[in-house]
Amino acid sequence: MLATAVVALIGLTTPLAMQATPARRATESSRRSDRRMFRALCTSCPDTTDFAVRGALQQGGGAPPRDLPAAHAEVHALRVQGNVWMLVGGGGGNITVQAGDDGVLLVDTSLASLSDVVMAEIKKISSKPVNYIINTHVHADHVGGNETFGKASTDFLAPTQVQIIAHESVLNRMSAPTGRQPAFPAGSWPTDTYFTKQKEVFFNSEAIILLHQPAAHTDGDTIVFFRRSDVVSTGDIFQTTTFPFIDTERGGTINGIIAALNNILDITVPRDKQEGGTYVIPGHGRLCDEHDVLEYRDMLTIVRDRVQDGVKKGMTLAQVKASQPTLDYDARWGSNAGPQTTDQFLEKIFDELQATRK
Amino acid sequence: MRDRTFRMQAVLIVLTAAVLSIGSGAFERAVAGQAQTAAAAQAPAGGQGRGRGQAPPTAQAQAPIDLTGWWVSVVTEDWRWRMVTPPKGDYSSIPISPEGRRVGDAWDPAKDEREGNACRSYGAAAIMRVPGRVHVTWQDDSTLKIDTDAGTQTRLLHFGDAQPPAGEQGWQGYSAATWEIAGAAARGGGAAAAPARGAAPVAPAAPRYGSLKVVTTHMKAGYLRKNGVPYSENAVVTEYFDRHNESNGDQWFTVTTTVDDSKYLQQPFITSTGFKKEADGAKWRPTPCAAQ
Amino acid sequence: MRNVERVRTASLVLLMLAVCGRPAFAQMDFSGVWAPLFHEDQPERIPGPDIGDYAGLPITEAARTRALAWDASLLTLPEHQCKPHPSTYGFRGVGNLRMWSDQDPATQQLIKINTHIQWQEQHRDIWMDGRPHPPEYAPHTWQGFSTGRWEGDTLVVSTTHLKAGWMRRNGLALTDRATMEDRFYRHGDLLTHVYIISDPVYLSEPLVKTNGFRLALNGRIDPYPCESVVEVPRAKGEVPNHLPGTNHAAEEFAAKHEIPVEAALGGAETALPEFIQKMKTLKVPAQTPAAARPAR
Repeated sequence: MLATAVVALIGLTTPLAMQATPARRATESSRRSDRRMFRALCTSCPDTTDFAVRGALQQGGGAPPRDLPAAHAEVHALRVQGNVWMLVGGGGGNITVQAGDDGVLLVDTSLASLSDVVMAEIKKISSKPVNYIINTHVHADHVGGNETFGKASTDFLAPTQVQIIAHESVLNRMSAPTGRQPAFPAGSWPTDTYFTKQKEVFFNSEAIILLHQPAAHTDGDTIVFFRRSDVVSTGDIFQTTTFPFIDTERGGTINGIIAALNNILDITVPRDKQEGGTYVIPGHGRLCDEHDVLEYRDMLTIVRDRVQDGVKKGMTLAQVKASQPTLDYDARWGSNAGPQTTDQFLEKIFDELQATRK
Repeated sequence: MRDRTFRMQAVLIVLTAAVLSIGSGAFERAVAGQAQTAAAAQAPAGGQGRGRGQAPPTAQAQAPIDLTGWWVSVVTEDWRWRMVTPPKGDYSSIPISPEGRRVGDAWDPAKDEREGNACRSYGAAAIMRVPGRVHVTWQDDSTLKIDTDAGTQTRLLHFGDAQPPAGEQGWQGYSAATWEIAGAAARGGGAAAAPARGAAPVAPAAPRYGSLKVVTTHMKAGYLRKNGVPYSENAVVTEYFDRHNESNGDQWFTVTTTVDDSKYLQQPFITSTGFKKEADGAKWRPTPCAAQ
Repeated sequence: MRNVERVRTASLVLLMLAVCGRPAFAQMDFSGVWAPLFHEDQPERIPGPDIGDYAGLPITEAARTRALAWDASLLTLPEHQCKPHPSTYGFRGVGNLRMWSDQDPATQQLIKINTHIQWQEQHRDIWMDGRPHPPEYAPHTWQGFSTGRWEGDTLVVSTTHLKAGWMRRNGLALTDRATMEDRFYRHGDLLTHVYIISDPVYLSEPLVKTNGFRLALNGRIDPYPCESVVEVPRAKGEVPNHLPGTNHAAEEFAAKHEIPVEAALGGAETALPEFIQKMKTLKVPAQTPAAARPAR
């Protein structure tokens, strides 16, 4: 009601003033002057037709934003800390962007179909070329953009050869022996691999440590620690959306995932009261910190322990499933569809633990 | 011609600014005043209302919140002191005095039953903590009635300036009620005088927010809990009733209860109790008092 | 011609002073130090709840399972030691509460209301300036992201982006999908805090609880630093937990207080008055001798 009175009165005075001075109309500059004055004096007033002080005000906040549908090609950039950003959304894996004077380093490149959208977001962060790509593992939703972003720059003044770094298992799985059809085009293969426990890179005034996590999500997992920015990129060893996908065909194991999560916890240091400090970019989902990794680690360890107990007691797979070892976690992490259902998740754990028992 | 127009504009602007600067609280009071004036205009001369011919708004008309309806207590707190009879001598959470402890330790529910005191734990100082349903209605436009199915009790909350009658007034005592209007200059106002005789009470534009304050005295000595934690006949109970609606449509009221009793309590005993609205009285189950 | 400009300018100034100079309608000042009242659930809130006591809470089977798996030894792990209460529990906990407001120095408009609870320094910003909540992919915190509005004199707060926390300190967890609405009512020197927690995973319906505070004119808030240490040497990655079927705490709680196990295990129906009648038809477990408890 108040806003209406304000608008009505302004509206009323304007034509009156104009009628009073037929030779002079309110100038555009005077209208701008009004807007500035309005904003200065009344930052909390609601929107009016003529004077948009802020964007739409929301009273009280509503429900949290929903998940974007998987096919929705919207990628969002979130500044994490230091030199590091996170790109999230669009249905592909998260991308870590480290940007500085030296150029741009990416951890993972998401789906090939998102390359244009991803490039647009990277350009908002930095106009520098991509110098490095680090792949956390071999899956298409993390290496799909390698070919696009891995192209050498042909700019005569700023030629760039992009290095694609990954554990050698990633190269082995992306390529193929001579004469066989490779899983991925050659332009997306790693150009620089390592087979030891870790590899180091120094870029944008920051030490970046690549740590191999054996037999975790796959057999070629790398977690990436940005030492100065204090950010860890985990690939799909850790995510906030589902139980981890155990890629048994590519050497993944539940015990390896749990060990990797414990290694992440060794690196992360919270700022205060178990919050903030080292930030963690998961393979999928929201930005996290140590406590989020801790909850995930605890959950998987408990599920593993329950299945282990069943195996120890000589239970069959059906009996283990019937005991509902994930009942307390299903609604949050479980899935009845997609690349791995909860049932399949349990089967993999059971098979691994039973094999280990023998 | 031009100057006259400018003067007209300036006057218009200043008048409008003056009206706006008084603020919405004054707006509300102005509306109420207009309503009272309207009521007064309708009242015959010599009526009982304030001023000649005015019919002040009734408590019911003034209500800033609606407490009427069927409500159920939702016991998410003090569960094992409310949903079951706690053991004798369990005074957890209560700031009980040594004298209160002495009396509590002598609790004898069988004796209470024999002596017709089974309703001791259903008095006004405790009844809102007893799990059950309440039905809130207006007995008349200045008396709010709370019926409870647990113990089949009735509380009458009296608006107005009437003094409580002398002497003890049973388990529920005498309750004096006032509306506390959110943002009102003088809090506690709302005890409307009776409308002028013969005048139809004219409801003012009721403020949207506020609380119900109830002060209860003159109670028969009773129990704060079923296991004999005592309160005396001199106890004073002050309650605030607040309403809220959840985003899922559920409606609630919360009553914050303070029991002052220097005989059995070392400090005021303060609790807050939630009730959720039900569509009707389908689950209303009046039960007699039980001492245990 | 200049007169036109002057009239319009003057009108704007007058109107803005009128609009912005008036106090916001029916707001309440909650500033001060508030001492928590433990006249309800004192044993749960101070010494701590019984393991296996879920009575009255509208929990799901998933929550129950999770709670029965919970082992208090989990809190000996260094990463679990310095966790503060999330805002979904903090107002029930121990420690004075301080509330204060931040105003824009130029306009005196309210920007935010702060709450700070002494234990583990739980600090919450309640944004009153209309800003939206962050996007889904933003980090979650212990106190969450809160925005507030007024309903008359009542402060109504909406909180999202919460870390996975708890609704009771005996393993009754909340997920990071929980959201909360809480309300602050002030009556004189009494503050009644009502919170309504929703969790699509662990609550079958919103959990409503109330907490009382009294204004403490001489109240103080001390710092509460915390440092993690290794309290119990363990193998790397060990997570204390009860395997299914090995935790009999609910039966023990029920036997101790002579109530049916079904009551101890909680659920929405256990909070309603009709459950009192139902309990009369349910069996109360006998006390379990310590010797008869199965070994872990």
